[in-house]
Amino acid sequence: MEVDAPTDERRYRVSDPSGFRADPDRSTVRAGMLRFIHSSDLHLGKRFGNFSGDLPSRLREARHAAIARLAQHAQEQGAATILLAGDTFDTETPAADVRRQALAEMAHHAPIRWVLLPGNHDSLQATQLWATLKAEAPENVALAAEPRPVELAAGAALLPAPCTTRRPGRDLTEWMEGAATPEGAIRIGLAHGAIRSFSEDGVASDVIAPDRARRAGLAYLALGDWHGALEVEPRTRYSGTPEPDRFKHERPGEALLVSIAGPSALPEVTPLPMASFAWRRLDLHLLDGDDPAPALEGLLPEARHRRQTLARVAAAGRSNLAGRAALTAAIERAKPDFAFLELDDTGLATACEAGDLDGIDRAGALREAANALLAEAGDESRSAGEREIARAALARLFFYAQAVAP
Amino acid sequence: MKISALRLFNVKRFAGRGIAIEGIGDGVNVLCAVNEFGKSTSFEALHALFFQPHSGTPGEIQKLRPYSGGSPLVEADIQTAEGRFRLTKQYYGGRSARVTDLATGRLVAQADEAENFIAGLIRGGTAGPAGLLWVRQGVTGLEKRSRSEEDGEKEVRRSLLESVQGEVEAVTGGRRMAEIMAAAQEALSELVTPTGRPRTGGRYAAAIEERDRLEAEEGRLAGEVDALRAALDRRAAAARRLAELDGAEDRRERRQAVETAEAGFDAARAHDGKLKTAEAELKLARERKDAADRDLGAFRTALAKAKELQERLREAERRRAEASGRRRDAAAAIEKAHADAEAAEAGEQAMRGLLARLDAALKAREAAERLAGLKERLSAAEAARRALEEGEARLALVRIPAHAVDELQALEVEIAKLRAVEEAARPSVAISYQGGAAGPVTMDGIPLADGEERGYDGQAELSVPGIGTLTLRSNRPARSDDRIERAEAKRRTLLASMGVDDLAAARERQVRAERIEAELRELRGRLSLLAPEGLARLRESVAALDPAGAELLELKEDPSQVRAALAAAEESRRKAKLALREAEPLRGSADDAFVRAETALASLDAERTQVAALLGPEEARDRRAQAMADALDERGRALAAAEAHAEALRTAAVDPHSAEAALKRARSVEAAAEQEINALRETIAGLNAEIRTRSEEAVEETWRETAEALSAATARVAAFAKEVAVLQRLASALEAARSEARELYLGPVMAELRPLIGLLFDDVSITFDERTLLPQTIRRSGQEEEVDRLSGGMREQLSVLTRLAFARLLARDGRPAPVILDDALVYSDDDRIEKMFDALHRQSRDQQIIVFSCRQRAFQKLGGNVLQMTDWQP
Repeated sequence: MEVDAPTDERRYRVSDPSGFRADPDRSTVRAGMLRFIHSSDLHLGKRFGNFSGDLPSRLREARHAAIARLAQHAQEQGAATILLAGDTFDTETPAADVRRQALAEMAHHAPIRWVLLPGNHDSLQATQLWATLKAEAPENVALAAEPRPVELAAGAALLPAPCTTRRPGRDLTEWMEGAATPEGAIRIGLAHGAIRSFSEDGVASDVIAPDRARRAGLAYLALGDWHGALEVEPRTRYSGTPEPDRFKHERPGEALLVSIAGPSALPEVTPLPMASFAWRRLDLHLLDGDDPAPALEGLLPEARHRRQTLARVAAAGRSNLAGRAALTAAIERAKPDFAFLELDDTGLATACEAGDLDGIDRAGALREAANALLAEAGDESRSAGEREIARAALARLFFYAQAVAP
Repeated sequence: MKISALRLFNVKRFAGRGIAIEGIGDGVNVLCAVNEFGKSTSFEALHALFFQPHSGTPGEIQKLRPYSGGSPLVEADIQTAEGRFRLTKQYYGGRSARVTDLATGRLVAQADEAENFIAGLIRGGTAGPAGLLWVRQGVTGLEKRSRSEEDGEKEVRRSLLESVQGEVEAVTGGRRMAEIMAAAQEALSELVTPTGRPRTGGRYAAAIEERDRLEAEEGRLAGEVDALRAALDRRAAAARRLAELDGAEDRRERRQAVETAEAGFDAARAHDGKLKTAEAELKLARERKDAADRDLGAFRTALAKAKELQERLREAERRRAEASGRRRDAAAAIEKAHADAEAAEAGEQAMRGLLARLDAALKAREAAERLAGLKERLSAAEAARRALEEGEARLALVRIPAHAVDELQALEVEIAKLRAVEEAARPSVAISYQGGAAGPVTMDGIPLADGEERGYDGQAELSVPGIGTLTLRSNRPARSDDRIERAEAKRRTLLASMGVDDLAAARERQVRAERIEAELRELRGRLSLLAPEGLARLRESVAALDPAGAELLELKEDPSQVRAALAAAEESRRKAKLALREAEPLRGSADDAFVRAETALASLDAERTQVAALLGPEEARDRRAQAMADALDERGRALAAAEAHAEALRTAAVDPHSAEAALKRARSVEAAAEQEINALRETIAGLNAEIRTRSEEAVEETWRETAEALSAATARVAAFAKEVAVLQRLASALEAARSEARELYLGPVMAELRPLIGLLFDDVSITFDERTLLPQTIRRSGQEEEVDRLSGGMREQLSVLTRLAFARLLARDGRPAPVILDDALVYSDDDRIEKMFDALHRQSRDQQIIVFSCRQRAFQKLGGNVLQMTDWQP
C-alpha cells in the first residue's frame, strides 16, 4: 500500500514498481547512441492566481499542452524516453483532473516512455500523490521514486535522486558516486535542485555539487528546478521549464534533446522549442526628448505573437511629463493586443521642464501648485516615497490640465 | 468705463413710452424719485443691457416686457478709454444689439459682435477684471432671505455674484482650477471618503476587501496545506515505523525471543521442582536425626531422674508419717476443747435462765406498788373534781356581771346628783328663833329647827305656834323632765336583774362570788396536780397497771449472787471457746501438712512410674541405650548425605522469577509491537482518509493560486493607496495654491476696504469668504461674529463698502467701473447714512457712483449730481 516502501533489491527488474520495464525492441542504444529528451518543471496544475480573466486558464492549458509537444519532439527526434527532472506537478496534491489528464496524455504517446522524478514541489513527502500515480500510471510512465540505478535502456542506467521532502537539506545526488551499474553502461543522473545559486525558489541549503557528473562518472546529469535552460558544464544541464511561468528568465521555454554516443562521450545537446507563451521583459530606455511611443513599438513583438505574449515593459532613463503621459497612453493602447502587458516605470525618472509647467498654466494658482509639487519632487530632504508621490501628483496635474481646455 | 446716459422704451409699466436719464457724470450721481416712478425699472433695464444677450428671453427679460407686450428697448451711452459709445439693445420683436461710436456716429458692432463688445466691457476680457459693480435694494448678497423673496431676486443676486466671481477667476485659476480640482476630487472621492477612509463600494475599498478576503483565504488554505503536509509527514513517519515493526525478520526475532524465554522459564521451573524435593528430603533426614537425638537424651535423663526419684520418695514417705502423727495429736486436743466449751456453755445457759426469772418477779412487784399509788391519786382527783363541780354550781348562783355593779353604782350617783339639783331649786324655809319664841314652828306638822332650812313643793303649811298657820305657796311650774324617774326605773330594773335590793347587797354578792371563784381555782390546781393528763388518762393508767390475775413470784435466790454465778459461767465458757480456737488451727495445719506429704508422695510415685515406663525393665536398659546411640549415628550420616544433595541442587538452580520476568518482557515486547502495528495501521488509515480528501480538493493548488492572487491584490491595494496619496497630494497642492492666490487677491481689496470701514466703524477687521468673496466674519473688540448675525444696516453698509473697495481697486488699475446702488441703504440710520455718504464721496473722486433711491429727504444730504428722468422717444 505504500509507495515509498523500503528498498527491495529483489524487485529490481522483476516487477519494477516504478514502471521500468526492459523493452529490448525499443530501449537498446541504437547504433551505440542513447537519445532522450530532458525536460523539467512542467508545474502542471499551476493556477496563476495573479492574473485575471481567462489568462490563468490559458496558461494552465498551455502547461498541459507541453506534454503533447514533448511527445511530438520525441517522436520526431527518435528519442524513446522523456526524462522529467522534477516538479512535473505544481503541488504535492494536484487536482485529480490535472493528474489524470496528464497521465492520459502521456499514455496516449506510448511507447514513448516518461520518467517522472519527484521534485521539491511534488516531493516524495506527497505520498498520496505518488501512491496514486503508482496506482494510475500507465505502462509507459515510470516513477523514479527511489535512489537506485534502474535500466534506462540496454547499456544505459538511470540514477535518479528523487526529492524526499520539499527541502531535503542535503545533496541527494551523493549516492550516485557509489552506485554500481553494469560494466560499460552509460550512467545518466536525474536530479532536481539547486547548483550554487541556481535555485528557483531561492533555497540554497541543499545544493547539488556542481561537479557531481564528473565525480559520479555520469555521462549526463539531467537537472530540474531552474526554470531557464542552463549549461552548468558540458555534462550537467538544466533543461528549464518548457512553458515559462514568470518574467524571470529571458529564454523561451525549451526542452533538450540529448544524444550520448558512449559512457565517456560528451553529450550532444539540442534545444527544442517548446513554449506556447512567451514571457518577455522588455527594457525600454528613454532619453530626454525621446518619443516613447515609437521606441515602445520597436520593442514590442510583432502583432501576431502578442496574443501568446506576456510582457512587462521596464521603462528606464529620463522622460518629461509629456513623454511619460505618452508612454502610459501607448501601453494602454497596446494592452489589448497582448495576453498580458504591464508597464514598470519605477526606473523612469521624470524630468520637468518649463514647457511642461507652461502646459499646465503660465501663471496663477495652477502654476503655483505645479511649482510646489515640482519643488517637492526634487526636494532631497524628503523621503523617496514623498518625492515619488509629489512627482506622480505633478504628472497627474499635467494630465488633468491637458484634459481641461485652457 | 463710465455711464453718461440711460434711456429705455417700452419697458415694464412704460408701455409705449420711454424715459431717459441724461447727464450722468463723474462722482456721485443721485436719482431720487418716489416709488413707482421708474427708478427700479431703470436699474433693471440697465442690468439687462449689460448682462442679458439681445437674442434670449430669459425671466429677467420677460419681466422687462410690458403687460401689453411689445419690444423693450434699452440704450446707454458710455465712455471708455477707447471713446464714447452708445449701446442699444432691443428684445423680442426686432431684437437687436448695436454699438455706435458717439464721436463718429459709426456703427461699431451689432448683434453678437455687439454682445462681445459689451461682455468685454463687463468682464474685461482675459486681460483682467473690469465691469460694473451693483448693489441692489436690500440685496446685499450677505443675508439669507425668505424663499419667495429669494426666488424673485435670485437672478439679480446671482448675476451680481457672477460679476464679482468673474473678477476673481483670473487670479485664482478660475474655471480650470475648479475643473482640475473637481476632477481630482472626483477621482479621489471614488476611492476614499472626505475623511480619507476607503469609500464603501468604491474600487479602493473593494480592492482592500478583496485583499483581506484573499489574505484570510490564503491563511486558511495555508493552514490546510500545513495540515495536509503534517498529515503526510505523520503518515510517512507512521509508515516508516510500521515497516520497522512489521518486517518478517523483526517478527521472527521477537517470536524467537519469546520462545527462548519460554524454554528458559520451563527449565527453571523443572529444576525448581527437583530442588524442592531434595529440600523436603533433607528436612526429613534432619528431623529423623533430631528425633533420635532427642530419644537418646530423654532416655539418659530418665535414668538420672529415676535415681533422684528414689531418694525423694523415701524422704516423702518419712514426712507423711510425721504429719500423720501430728494430725492425731491435734485431733485429740480439739476433742477435749470442744467438750470443755460445751460444758461451759450449758452452765452459763442455766445461770441465765435463773436470772431471767428473778428479774420478772422483781418487775411484777414494782408494778403492783405503782398501781396502788395511782388508785390513790385517782380517788383524790375524783374528790377534787366533785368539789369543783359543787363550787361551780354555787358560783353560778351568786355571780353578778361585773359591769352591772359598776353601772348600778353610776346610776346611784346620777340619781343623787339629780336629787341634789332638784333640792337646790326648791323653795325653802328656814327660821331663826328668837330667844324665847314660843314653840317651834312646824311645817306640815314637822317642827322646824333653828336654822334649819326646809324646802317644799307647791305649798307648805307652817304652823306657827302662836300665830296660826302660815301657808306657803311656791307657785312654780312643775318640773319639766323626768330624768330622776327614768334613772330610778333603770336602777330598779338592774336591781331586779341582779336579784338584790340595793347596791350594798350587790356588792356583797359580788364579794361572795369572788371567794367561791378563788376556791375553785385552788381545786382546779389540785386536780391538775393529781391528774396532769386528765382524769380519763389517769383512769386508763390504772386500768393498764391492774394485773389481771398476775401472781407474784416468790424470790428465793439472791439476784446478785445469781449474777455473779452467771458472770463466772460466761467467763468459763469464753475460756473454753478460746481453748477450742487455739486447738483448731493446730489441727488444720496438721491436716495440711499431711495432705502435702500425701500429694508429694503421690506425685513422686507417679513420676517414678512414668520414668520406669520410659526406661523399661531395668535389665534391658543398658542395651537399649546402646541401640539408641547407634541409631543416632546412622541418622546423622543420612542427614549429611541429604544436605550435600540439596546443596548441589541449590547451586545449580536458576531463579524462576528472573526467567519469568524475561519471558514476560519478551512477550510484552511482542505484544507492544503488535499493538503499535495495529495503532499505526489505524493512524495510517485515518490519515489516508484525511489526505485523500484534501488531495482531492487540490488544496495546495488552491492555496498557491490564492497566494498569487493575494500578491496581485496587495499590489493593487498598494497602487490604490498610492493613487489616493497622489490625488490627495494634488488636491492639497491645488487647494494651497488657490488659498494663497485668494489671499494675494484679497490683499488689495482689504487695503482698499480698510479705510472705508474705518469711516464707519472703530476697531473692526473683516475676513472674506473664499467662495462668495464677500465678508464672512467681522472681528470687533476681540469678538468674532458671523456677518449673518449682524444687523441689517451693518450688513448693507458692509456690502456697499465692499463693492466700493472693489471698484476702487479697479479704478486704481486704470479700469474704472461704475458702482450702481439701488436703494442700497434702507436699513441704515441717519448717522450712519451720512457716514456712508462721506464714504461714497470719498470714493467718488475718481469713480462713478450712481445711486437710485426713493428716500428723497435722506438722500438730499448726499449731495452730488442730481439726476432727472425725462420722457424719451427713440
